[in-house]
Amino acid sequence: MNAAACTVALIGRPNAGKSSLFNAVTGGHAKVGNFPGITVELLDAKVKLPSGEHLELVDLPGVYTVEGEADPHSDEGHARRFLELAQKATQPLVIAQVIDATQLELGLRLTLELRRRGVPVVLIATQHDALVQQGFELDARTLEEGLGVTVLATNARHAGLQQKVLELLGDAWRQRRTPPTGDLDVHALASKVLIPRIDAKEAFARVRRRTERLDAVLLHPVLGPAIFLGLMTALFAAVFFISEPFTALIDLTNQALGTRIEGWLGTGWLSSLLVDGVLGGAGTVLAFLPQIVTLTIVMELIDASGYLARGTFLVDRLLRFAGLGGRSFVPLLTAHACAIPAINSARIIRDPGQRLRTILVLPLMTCSARIPTYGLLITTFFADHSAWFKGALFVGLYFAGIVAGFIASLVLGRTVKSTAQQRPLVLEMPPYRMPQAPVVGRVAWRSAKRFVKDVGSVILIAAVVLWALLTVPGPGDTHSAPPGASPRVVAMHGSVAASVGRLLEPVTRPAGFDWRLNVGLIGSFGARELMVGTMGVIFGIEGGEDDTAPLGERLREAKTSTGAPAYGPATALALMAFFVLACQCMSTLAAVRRETRSWRWPLFVLGYTYVAAWVVSVIVFQVASAAGL
Amino acid sequence: MTSLDLLPPQRSAAITELRLAPAEATWLRAIGLCEGVRVTLLRGAPLGGPLHVRLSTGAELAVDRELARYVEVDAPTDEVPA
Ligand SMILES: Nc1nc2c(ncn2[C@@H]2O[C@H](COP(=O)(O)OP(=O)(O)OP(=O)(O)O)[C@@H](O)[C@H]2O)c(=O)[nH]1
Ligand SMILES: [Mg+2]
Repeated sequence: MNAAACTVALIGRPNAGKSSLFNAVTGGHAKVGNFPGITVELLDAKVKLPSGEHLELVDLPGVYTVEGEADPHSDEGHARRFLELAQKATQPLVIAQVIDATQLELGLRLTLELRRRGVPVVLIATQHDALVQQGFELDARTLEEGLGVTVLATNARHAGLQQKVLELLGDAWRQRRTPPTGDLDVHALASKVLIPRIDAKEAFARVRRRTERLDAVLLHPVLGPAIFLGLMTALFAAVFFISEPFTALIDLTNQALGTRIEGWLGTGWLSSLLVDGVLGGAGTVLAFLPQIVTLTIVMELIDASGYLARGTFLVDRLLRFAGLGGRSFVPLLTAHACAIPAINSARIIRDPGQRLRTILVLPLMTCSARIPTYGLLITTFFADHSAWFKGALFVGLYFAGIVAGFIASLVLGRTVKSTAQQRPLVLEMPPYRMPQAPVVGRVAWRSAKRFVKDVGSVILIAAVVLWALLTVPGPGDTHSAPPGASPRVVAMHGSVAASVGRLLEPVTRPAGFDWRLNVGLIGSFGARELMVGTMGVIFGIEGGEDDTAPLGERLREAKTSTGAPAYGPATALALMAFFVLACQCMSTLAAVRRETRSWRWPLFVLGYTYVAAWVVSVIVFQVASAAGL
Repeated sequence: MTSLDLLPPQRSAAITELRLAPAEATWLRAIGLCEGVRVTLLRGAPLGGPLHVRLSTGAELAVDRELARYVEVDAPTDEVPA
């Protein structure tokens, strides 16, 4: 890779279009969303100029100002620190300010600050298409003259802009001209360069009315919260209902493949490795691909529309009651896909106490890795109930996570005190925007690819290792094998994995978990999906050679050593309660460690979630059993 | 003279003073709440939640109600179109 000739930092107010521009120029995949504070980390890429040199383009979190103090752990602080370091580095720096043409005056205040830094500055005015819709046009030449800075007016979502931007940046780097530093009246300048069309008044009113009408409903004192709740419910329900048929299809394919393989290879260990290990372990997890994609699509639609800021507005009061705040909303919602980006996005929370409490409760939100376990348990142990009942149970688990987070935060609010001054909510509310189908499609496709890759690598390897630990005969006690079990099943009961699982039985028995579920719980400590993967392997082996029943059926028919049914709805409920609460995710703990810069907090999260998970699952199992489930 | 939290809905007034710690006031000015800017109150969130305001620069903000007490504004008028 060639060394870059210079660094180009994309600086601008949040939501100006920096990441959109970055993607259009580099072909990258920076996350874009209609909310101020989507980007919380640096992202860089090398781009080649027509003249052959390379530039390093850096997408940064948004900043409102680059002067005065900033909390170094906030998103703005990260951008500011990058700027300081890049100015001291040997590689020359060009600042490309990304300015929202529809918010010109506010952006120009930042331009004045940037001009004072003694570094070449260029201005890229995005949202020019939106400005035109509002009945105005930007007079880039006059703006250039007024500022002494080159200006390009463009639409950052347009892929064809790469050439123009590269030319602009190349010129800026070659000329290395530092801009004038004087002060000027940005209000007057903005009015001078925004040229109204004849129909500007009507156009502007029309555009504004669109957002106003939506806000009148979505932020209505009664309707607003109701719609908010409905939307969250719909999000979770969609994951369950939309994806069920697809999952069933993938399941059937898996089964057919299994039968095929056994037809070819007979019933030796290789066949067991492929059918029980690979298909049973990784294939079972893969069947949850549609759920993951559905979740990604709905979340992306929410991100792109502008509803995130409205959600923040609506829940601020409620979250503050629990010691969090409106700015916790986006991390909390993000955590319903995955806790790790959510923990990073807690950088947008300006209040340090709120930020810490948010990070500590984020692992309780229902991330997508829990979906396979919930899906399997619900369809297996509540098979006789209506689809509505199953859907409601699924949605209920999501809300259980939210309520748990709320309670945890209330308790933490009393113990984890914030020393710094409080920073109440101030947030920009962007206009609504129509999500773009190609962007949504790309995001969905990438999430599918990532999931398949994970299943094909980490999960697959783990499933095969588990298969080995369950198949290779060990020194364990084989008495737990059900009467009349095949030699392979007896061997499994004596395996290393089984012995470890059995070691935990005294602790987990009050919650209804036997050694098989314990092996799953241990496996899922690395990645939650492995719970289902482990079940696939164990019950694949138990099912024997000519049993092609789906995993759910095998789970229902699982026996204890005395031949009694091993699990029932009570076990399922207890196991789900465990999954709601336990932070079974190494990567989450690593992210907590990084963001809190201490070992204390990740260990605290691990401890409190596991203790809560155990206590609650025991209570659930005991109560449900007593109720005759 | 009144403060932002006391502005009647749909009425507008110019900011005259931010009675806040200097660092916080600097940040608020940068985001757009600075002296001279006119603010229109669009609505408040239920149960004492934040205020939804529009600035004469075109931006819309959610502002904590408690914080709004420290934002001084002049006499309210109807919104002047930008
Ligand atoms: N119409 C239009 N929309 C744009 C343009 N550029 C960006 N957007 C939209 O504006 C929103 C913000 O874009 P981002 O690229 O995420 O903005 P950002 O500056 O990276 O924002 P942060 O990372 O939050 O600071 C998204 O909804 C984009 O689709 C543009 O030129 N025209
Ligand atoms: Mg961004």
